[in-house]
This record gives sequence, C-alpha cells and structure tokens, in this order.
Amino acid sequence: MSDPQNEAALKRNGLTISKREDVAVTHVALRRGMQAELEKRASAALGVSLPATARVAEASGKLVVWAGPEQWLIIEPRSTGKDPSVDLAEALKGAASIIDVSDSRVIFRVEGQKATEVLAPSMAIDFHDQVFKRGDVAITHASHLGVMVWRLPDGSGYEFACARTYAVAFSEWLADACGKLTRPA
Amino acid sequence: MRIRCPHCGERALDEFTYLGDASVTRPDPTSPDAAGEFYAYAYERRNIAGPTQELWYHQAGCHSWLVVTRDTRTHEISDVKLAEDVASKRIKSTAGAA
Ligand SMILES: [Zn+2]
Repeated sequence: MSDPQNEAALKRNGLTISKREDVAVTHVALRRGMQAELEKRASAALGVSLPATARVAEASGKLVVWAGPEQWLIIEPRSTGKDPSVDLAEALKGAASIIDVSDSRVIFRVEGQKATEVLAPSMAIDFHDQVFKRGDVAITHASHLGVMVWRLPDGSGYEFACARTYAVAFSEWLADACGKLTRPA
Repeated sequence: MRIRCPHCGERALDEFTYLGDASVTRPDPTSPDAAGEFYAYAYERRNIAGPTQELWYHQAGCHSWLVVTRDTRTHEISDVKLAEDVASKRIKSTAGAA
C-alpha cells in the first residue's frame, strides 16, 4: 500500500483499503452431534443464528461469518482488556470448539463504488451482483493465497480474511488489483 | 472444467485436487482372501469411456471431499455429492443388507 503508483491509482478509482487491527477474531467449530444444542446456545450468546450456508450474519457490532461446513468466524471490535473468545467458550462449552485466531487471521476491507469492478477480473469467483450478493461469503484463493471474502451486508465493499503470514503479500496484491483500472500503460 | 461444490457453488478446477475412483470400497481385512481383495482395491482399475465416479477434494475452498460423476469422453459433470453423504448412505445400505 506504500507504493506511490498504487496510492494514486486507488485514489483515482475512489477505493480505500484498510487493515482492521481493531478486531478480535474467534473460530467456532461444531462438535459432532451437538448441532441443535449449538444452534440454540449460539443464538442466545450472539443474538443471531449461525449461518448454515456461505453467508455472513450481523449482530450488534459482531459479524458471524460462515467459514466452511460446521465452522464460523466471529469478528468483533476488541474492547480493552477483554478476550471475547473466553466468554464464547463458556457460552458454547461442550457444543463447539472455540479458538482465538486474532493473531492468525488478518481482516482487510476494500470500500468504494468500483470495488466489484476491480475484483471481478482479479479473482476466479463470480462477482456478479446476482451471484455474489450482499452478505455472501466465498472461501477461495487470490494470487495463490488462500482467502475468505465476503460482500459487506450494506453493499459498501468487501472484506477479506487471510493468514497473517501472507498479509503483506496479500495486501500488495490487493492494492495492485484495486489500482489496475487506471494504471498508466 | 468447473465443479459445483454443494457448499461453495461452481468453482474453477484449480481449487480442487483429484484423488481417484470413488466407486471402490475398502475390503474386509478379516476375509479369507483379504490380500487379493486389497490388491484389487489398491491397483485394479477399469478404464471407463463414459460416466465415472471420482473423489475430488475442495482444497482451496471449503475442504470438503466430493464424489463427482464425470463423463470421461466429454468432461461433462452430471452430479456432485458430499463424500460423507455418499459414505453414510453406503454404510446404511450395507447395514440393512446384513
Ligand atoms: Zn467447497
């Protein structure tokens, strides 16, 4: 993102890329045979049902992201000195396995009207409005890096989750992809 | 070739890894001809011109194992099921037969 050529291109495209360092990310995985129990307790703890398909669900500042069959990521603002995975582990005890993955995943956000236009030719999934709708999630890869991507429910752009190990490579790819529309020849 | 994953929808081939024949079942190791049956299970394959059942892994996606019905002559995919559903159905049918 420090590449001045990319900075200028992002500006021309009206796009912003931000790294969300203010959030806690918790991984939730269903324990075998506990589906009904988890659904009940997760709804009570989160205020929203765990999405059964590739969707995100919003609940009072939290984002619940489908992360593959029977697993989810819970993304929420990190309040001072509190680890949300501890509360969640208590609430879902026995029904799910809970891991704090805040240090292993990085969340990037791309906002702007042209977000779909620049991502569509950059990745192999179908970004058409009627195919990848607001709140839809895809687990896929971008430039050989494993990523999860979801369209923000308010339609303002997209968020990506990638392994922290690859965050630099991924963010450079993202800036490159977002700058390509108006890149000088 | 694109594969429609039951969890993820249609995705490009580069997200998947091919394992092999999904129609073979692991023999009973206590059967009298276990060695012969395991040899056939591991090595003996038919070279089918037509619809085959294959195991594919959605490696760059949801990490599900899939049973894909593909025509070797046209690459046309007529069916994709989750391998765990196929396996549990198979277990149920053998349990019912016994
Ligand atoms: Zn999949």
